[in-house]
Amino acid sequence: MYGWIWRHLPGNAWMRALISLVLVLAIVFVLFQYVFPWAEPLLPFNDVTVDQGMGGPR
Amino acid sequence: MARTDHDERRDQHPGPPATPSRRTGRGRVAAAIAVFGELLITAGIILALFVVYSLWWTNVLADREAKKQGDQVRRHWARQGPGKLDTKSGIGFLHVPSMHNGEVLVKKGTRTETLNDGVAGYYTKPVKSAMPWAEKGNFSLAAHRDGHGAKFHDIDKVHEGDPVVFETRDTWYVYKVYATLPETSKYNVDVLDAVPKESGRKRPGRYITLSTCTPVYTSRHRYIVWGELERTEKVDARRTPPKELR
Repeated sequence: MYGWIWRHLPGNAWMRALISLVLVLAIVFVLFQYVFPWAEPLLPFNDVTVDQGMGGPR
Repeated sequence: MARTDHDERRDQHPGPPATPSRRTGRGRVAAAIAVFGELLITAGIILALFVVYSLWWTNVLADREAKKQGDQVRRHWARQGPGKLDTKSGIGFLHVPSMHNGEVLVKKGTRTETLNDGVAGYYTKPVKSAMPWAEKGNFSLAAHRDGHGAKFHDIDKVHEGDPVVFETRDTWYVYKVYATLPETSKYNVDVLDAVPKESGRKRPGRYITLSTCTPVYTSRHRYIVWGELERTEKVDARRTPPKELR
């Protein structure tokens, strides 16, 4: 998969390394900005209040 | 990667190899396994990034937001003369010296969106919190243990006898911790009662309840700290903090 991407990037090795870096940073940005904030409330790690179960506030 | 394996294998077997169809079949399996392995590595990296996000990045964002909202409340106090209290933007600041986390803005409600801004919230349900200035009742608060400012991270460092100070525009409310409950069910809403019986108190009084999740990094149980109002102090012109905070 990664080998395939590497072979399909244009330019020489330096150019490819630079494009790869930009791609990695773009993916990390999308994860931190959109994917993780969406996923976090769905995971049971951060409920701090006491409540009455499913009916109560979460 | 798959192609290299495949090429090497071909190099190692010069001369008439097995049937061509079998060779490409094996190459395909190797390629599929390689892709599967890379997907697993990718999943691992994404999970590691999620940990970084939850335990570090949410704190950065929440602390920034809490600072902004806190400054806004203080500016508001400085500008506005005596009058109706604005509960929307925050009612005051909580100071718990044994948690070493500075001041925590307290806002209305314990919804996730509120608490995620790095503030503590007072309960509106399931048991409505009393306000500190009320004659009797329980001022009940919740905040995050980890991530999103982690304002109650060091709740386990709070022991009996420690001061908890709540600051409003005009008054310092000095509470003293008299009981802790290191682990209780998340459905135990009785801890928020006006007279929290589990803490050992039987008579109406002016109590404060801090709640967060425990053990750290999970939400399996709840950690509770109870305090009782010891005295109040008028805020002076220079906002000199009470001696517990000096």
